Amino acid sequence: MLPTLRLANARKPLIRFIGKRQWPSKPEEQHPHPFAPPELKQHFADFLKKFQSSSATSSSSATAKNGSATGPVYEEFWQAPARYRKRELEEWEIDLVQSGGASVH
Amino acid sequence: MLQVQKVSSRAAARRLRQAGSAQVTRWQQQRGLATPSDPYDAIIIGGGPGGYVAAIKAAQHGLKTACIEKRGSLGGTCLNVGCIPSKAMLNNSHIYHQTQHDTKRRGIDVGNVSLNLPVMLKAKEDAVTGLTKGIEVLFKQNKVDYIKGTASFVSPTKVAVKLNDGGETEVEAKNIIIATGSEVAPFPGGAIEIDEEQIVSSTGALSLKEVPEKMVVIGGGIIGLEMGSVWSRLGAQVTVVEFLGGIGGAGIDEEIAKQFQRSLSKQGLKFMLNTKVVSAEKKDGKVYIKTESAKGGKEETLEANVVLVAVGRRPYTEGLNIEAAGVELDNKGRVVIDDQFNTSVQGIKCIGDVTFGPMLAHKAEEEGIAAVEYIAKGHGHVNYHAIPSVVYTHPEVAWVGKTEQELKAAGVKYKVGKFPFAANSRAKTNLDTEGTVKFLTEAETDRVLGVHIMGPNAGEMIAEGVLAVEYGASAEDIARTCHAHPTLSEAFKEAAMAAYDKPIHF
Repeated sequence: MLPTLRLANARKPLIRFIGKRQWPSKPEEQHPHPFAPPELKQHFADFLKKFQSSSATSSSSATAKNGSATGPVYEEFWQAPARYRKRELEEWEIDLVQSGGASVH
Repeated sequence: MLQVQKVSSRAAARRLRQAGSAQVTRWQQQRGLATPSDPYDAIIIGGGPGGYVAAIKAAQHGLKTACIEKRGSLGGTCLNVGCIPSKAMLNNSHIYHQTQHDTKRRGIDVGNVSLNLPVMLKAKEDAVTGLTKGIEVLFKQNKVDYIKGTASFVSPTKVAVKLNDGGETEVEAKNIIIATGSEVAPFPGGAIEIDEEQIVSSTGALSLKEVPEKMVVIGGGIIGLEMGSVWSRLGAQVTVVEFLGGIGGAGIDEEIAKQFQRSLSKQGLKFMLNTKVVSAEKKDGKVYIKTESAKGGKEETLEANVVLVAVGRRPYTEGLNIEAAGVELDNKGRVVIDDQFNTSVQGIKCIGDVTFGPMLAHKAEEEGIAAVEYIAKGHGHVNYHAIPSVVYTHPEVAWVGKTEQELKAAGVKYKVGKFPFAANSRAKTNLDTEGTVKFLTEAETDRVLGVHIMGPNAGEMIAEGVLAVEYGASAEDIARTCHAHPTLSEAFKEAAMAAYDKPIHF
């Protein structure tokens, strides 16, 4: 049998592997949960309305939109909690860096 | 800042690494990014299979994470009073029963075999303790803060914790995941009160101090059948009363359910199907259970030393003060969520038994990981078509995907491929041949829609079926995949062959 014919007759598996994972750049749209009761699925818009108007200060969706693993992204540095701000280096730290570590020997 | 930039050459960095360790350590400590009073990135309420997995995954994603659990040990119902202890009892009671009844034909003459129930119960406890402590170690390794106490919402971002050791604290987080699980559902209408001595739930049934002479199990679902099997093997006369016309609970294929019932009946369990329990009365150290036909009439009274009420579980949100967060519940007490595990309040997600879907530990685990991935990346994945179910009796029963009755109801054209373990070489050598593998495939494409197994090791074998459903495999894909000989898994391959063509050995 010719190779081309053999190729045409080769069985093509139905199984499909997803390949290398890549996160889509945009967050997914919200949908009803597959196991939600029918009445909740029908009124999903009400759920979304409640969700959008809820007043949590820093939401998971905000995190998702920003694609950050550590929480929301702040527009200005002063809006971030103090723990993220840079601290003034102390004299001994500056000396240590300047000396390339030689001062400790 | 400028100075740091000036000297941040590779050489300087190398010299800096070589600098005195004490001073560098001091520097690092002073540059610590967070103090204990800082808010968490994620708080998980509940340390069961959904909660603890979510906590570890969150920490792995770099989120500052705490897990609040009030039981005093991690693992939830599954590890403490569910899946794990019941499997310890099922395994050991099976060995006891087999040693008593199934050694002669194997050429093993055994002398007097007796049960030491306290030791069997201790072996169960040891398994539980080992595994729950193991999660604490995982928490430490992943830097998850484990807070032992009862959580209640103060606001959508703040949770008060009544600590088990006394005192209270408040913790705050950008993201909170509710994973509080479920509890045993009481008998409908309150006609039967569980005392965990004579009238027990699944929790009490794991710790009976002696083997009851007669046991009545109310409910022929997975929990009822597993615990009924345990005490039947240990010597109890067990009667299972089920309101519906079949055993095995939701999602079991009817044909497999019938085979399963026949198998358990041969082992000595009695079944009363289409039967309703009306009441249970304690008298003279016994319990008298009144039953009637589900369609009405035909009353009967059963006598038992112990009654197991296994009529299901319900979501658990007690003490959570969920109203303070504004999270919506449905009329069954489940937390309402969307497909990204968002509750009706931004920043609060919910997973596991306390929300929609089957109450299974592995389903909760999948949701725990997906919920965290939604927080960290904005995307997650749970395929609810590929969640397996397993009944750990002997033989085991396991399934994934659609049942034949569901496909008929949906009008789907399908093919059936079956292979009995009686025709499998390894099952023959093991003298353990009861059961079948059954494939359901879409007629046109050969795609696997459901796999149903009753047989030895079905709970392990179903993983191959789950993989097939998850990746959209055809029966032919499985049939053309080499399976080792002699193994039970060849029965799986041959059932796949039967679905798209013909099996070799049957």
